[in-house]
Amino acid sequence: MPELGRAALALSLGLALYALVAGAYAAATRRRRLARSAQNALLAAFGSTGVASIVLLGALLRNDFSFTYVAEHTSRELPTPYTISAFWGGQEGSLLLWLLILTGFSAVAVVLSRRSAPDLLPWVVPILGLVATFFAFMLVAVSSPFQTQLAPADGAGLNPSLQNPYMMIHPPCLYLGYVGLTIPFAFAMGALLSRRTDELWIVATRRWTLFAWTALGIGQLLGSHWAYVEVGWGGYYAWDPVENAALMPWLAATAFLHSVMIQEKRGMLKVWNVLLVILAFCLALFGTFLTRSGVISSIHSFTQSPLGGWFLGFICLITLGSLALVISRLPLLRSKTRMESLVSREATFLYNNLLLVALCLTILWGVVFPLVSEAVHGEQITVSSPYYNFFLRIFGLPLLLLMAIGPLVAWRRASLRSLGRSFAWPAGIALAVGVVLLILGAGSSWIGLLAYTFSAFVLGSIGYEFVRGTRARRALTGGTWAAAFVELVGRNRRRYGGYIVHAAIVLLAIGIVGSSAYDTVRERTLAPGQTMAVSHYDVKYDQLVRRNGANATEFRAILDVKKNGRSVGTLESGKNSYRAEQQTSNEVGIRSDPLTGEDLYVITDQINQNGTIAFKVLVKPLVNLIWISGFVFLIGSLVALWPSAAEQRRLALRYRELRALARA
Amino acid sequence: MLAIFLLYVSVAGGTPSIQPSQLHGRTGDVALVGKVTGSPAGDAQATGLRFRMRDVSGQSASVPVVYRGSVPDMFKVGREVRVEGRLQNGLFIAKKDSLRTKCPSKYVAKKT
Repeated sequence: MPELGRAALALSLGLALYALVAGAYAAATRRRRLARSAQNALLAAFGSTGVASIVLLGALLRNDFSFTYVAEHTSRELPTPYTISAFWGGQEGSLLLWLLILTGFSAVAVVLSRRSAPDLLPWVVPILGLVATFFAFMLVAVSSPFQTQLAPADGAGLNPSLQNPYMMIHPPCLYLGYVGLTIPFAFAMGALLSRRTDELWIVATRRWTLFAWTALGIGQLLGSHWAYVEVGWGGYYAWDPVENAALMPWLAATAFLHSVMIQEKRGMLKVWNVLLVILAFCLALFGTFLTRSGVISSIHSFTQSPLGGWFLGFICLITLGSLALVISRLPLLRSKTRMESLVSREATFLYNNLLLVALCLTILWGVVFPLVSEAVHGEQITVSSPYYNFFLRIFGLPLLLLMAIGPLVAWRRASLRSLGRSFAWPAGIALAVGVVLLILGAGSSWIGLLAYTFSAFVLGSIGYEFVRGTRARRALTGGTWAAAFVELVGRNRRRYGGYIVHAAIVLLAIGIVGSSAYDTVRERTLAPGQTMAVSHYDVKYDQLVRRNGANATEFRAILDVKKNGRSVGTLESGKNSYRAEQQTSNEVGIRSDPLTGEDLYVITDQINQNGTIAFKVLVKPLVNLIWISGFVFLIGSLVALWPSAAEQRRLALRYRELRALARA
Repeated sequence: MLAIFLLYVSVAGGTPSIQPSQLHGRTGDVALVGKVTGSPAGDAQATGLRFRMRDVSGQSASVPVVYRGSVPDMFKVGREVRVEGRLQNGLFIAKKDSLRTKCPSKYVAKKT
């Protein structure tokens, strides 16, 4: 079987290389049939990579420990779902997943674009081929999942932290995002190579970008929730390089999603958009690289990690190659129009872009700073949460404010009078909320108060937009308010989907601020029967129980919880001791309040011989809004993504227009 | 402008991250990165957990560490950890709750 896997991967490499070389030759010499055959090579590469994936999956499910990868990442005791998730639990398997998704996406993009963007496709194919060639090469020559060995009696097992339902979905979700960003990148490069510098590539890849960005966002939230319930230190984001690895391309893609609207509406920012898509893709590669090598721990591990040099070389190649291409096409990328006023919709988009990119680059600087400082004066200097939190406030608060202002400002040039009219309600609501919160005592954190006032401003402005739009639609068509509302959203999915996403970001901000600026932490060692008070909770340590789980021994402290003096039931918090992996893990106890979104979070820090337990108890207000924001985010994205007949007609018309313009 | 600002903030706000072999004679706040050795003993919630750390690669002399606070699940002899604190009279006094292990979900352990 491993031979079949190796052969399939070698075939994938050959096909990807063919798509690259033959595709580029066909595009340069305008040979249609050869271009078609390069496209088909990409489709076939999906097939062969699929075969390789099935071989690996089969080996995992059979517990075939003669596969080194299987032996290193699973054990006989491991439950089946986690055996499947071991596919992406290690480096080789996750690279294979990358290639599988990449070739799959490429195949779909090729088939879809044959009709919608046939003039871009010849140059898109070799770019996709280039990326696929790199990953296939890594899998064949550097980091093969099909290495074999003399089968040991049992495998090493999967890291206990990864034995969690979230690990079934979080990594693949992030990968869908990372890989998805390849498509808009390939189309942007394809457009430059074929000198089609209008917005065809943007129109053709809008859904891909949106999809990749949604997957990346949801993937990160899932990762945060995993960290919150499983890693169990009481937080959900620690600015770890591997977390930042996903946040950076997401921020760049967020900026891109906004700035393309200016190019579509006003024909400006062409260079900027291409640069953003390059940035997003390079950061996606960098993210994959970060999560798959310990490179950031030291400059010296560069050479030790087999992947390091290759990845770095490829990222450099992509960055320099695409920048050179942009420079060579600069004359074609001139804008036809100019910014008319600094108070206009496009100006707020521009500010939003600058802030998002600044935040993104700040995080990037923080991630690479240890390496830079080591290279410059021989000693690593690491930056941690205070650095990131500082910049998150510096750039995040104005972003929040812009989210409120943007939708209220007109395109091109906004008059003071119209501004005053549309600002009155939302700004009034924001001020009222601010004052009420101040009276309620939210002034203990002025940043929190500011963030909440801005959040109210955004929600007010979104609500105002929905009301204004619904009223206008009802005036036009009559009928009920509900019908007018549904029609309003249905006819402008992109715009109103976007507003729903904005609402999600506000919920996220409220949750983050609530759980970090207004939280309570208490630590105490309790004997059975003793109680500790935390904020408005009383937590009583009742007894310690010991159970035998499927692959771990479970120790649980049973806690009686009282809120405001009233009993609200029991909570379990403890540790698992995994047998095969010889490791313990914290199993925190969380009690969520469905009404207020507040969590009581109990960590069993240490179980002592004499039966006493060192507890760490946190009360985190509003933290559940963070998870709820994920659902709202998904709904908003789906609204924006959902195809509508009207939009399809508009798109078809647009394609025809653009093509006619290009010919003229 | 952003670049200068970033440089300033990161230099001023950053913590030097060093290995046990570089610790000798340094008294300022540092982040010590290394491998856990010795036999960790003591109560991290009371008088403190005591263990030793040496460089990640190569055989260097080890430094005794005393630490109070939460101990991550992944903490074990042989693991790579990072802890913040300062050297006092040959003993590395760690800051409370500053002990970290490498993120288990992503980093692949180096094959030995």
